[in-house]
Amino acid sequence: MHTQAKKAWKQPQLEVLD
Amino acid sequence: MISVEKLSLSDRVKACDQNIVSDMGGEKVMLSIQNGNYYNLGSIGGRIWEVIGNFATVAEVVDLLLEEYDVDRTECEQQVLDFLDHMRKEGLVLVDGEAASADQA
Repeated sequence: MHTQAKKAWKQPQLEVLD
Repeated sequence: MISVEKLSLSDRVKACDQNIVSDMGGEKVMLSIQNGNYYNLGSIGGRIWEVIGNFATVAEVVDLLLEEYDVDRTECEQQVLDFLDHMRKEGLVLVDGEAASADQA
């Protein structure tokens, strides 16, 4: 059975742009 | 900025409507009409933003991310809570039961 590979996790960050 | 208690997994959150969001190279960039600031949510932050287009508990957001991403539950919960707390302090998300930040002015 084909299962979709999970995507790599990266910590979500809220970047306030200048 | 809004100063409030930290979010918990049972809190229901929703993306604030007063923002203009654009996809840029797989990352979401947002302009807050309320405070005039631009934000980069990144790719995963952008996914969280999509999920909370309607009210959802933080736990529901985490469950959905666990289905899509290769991450430990505890790590995911903590990082999503931190991310949403930051967004809440910037006035970008609403928490169910709280007055909309725009109404507080």
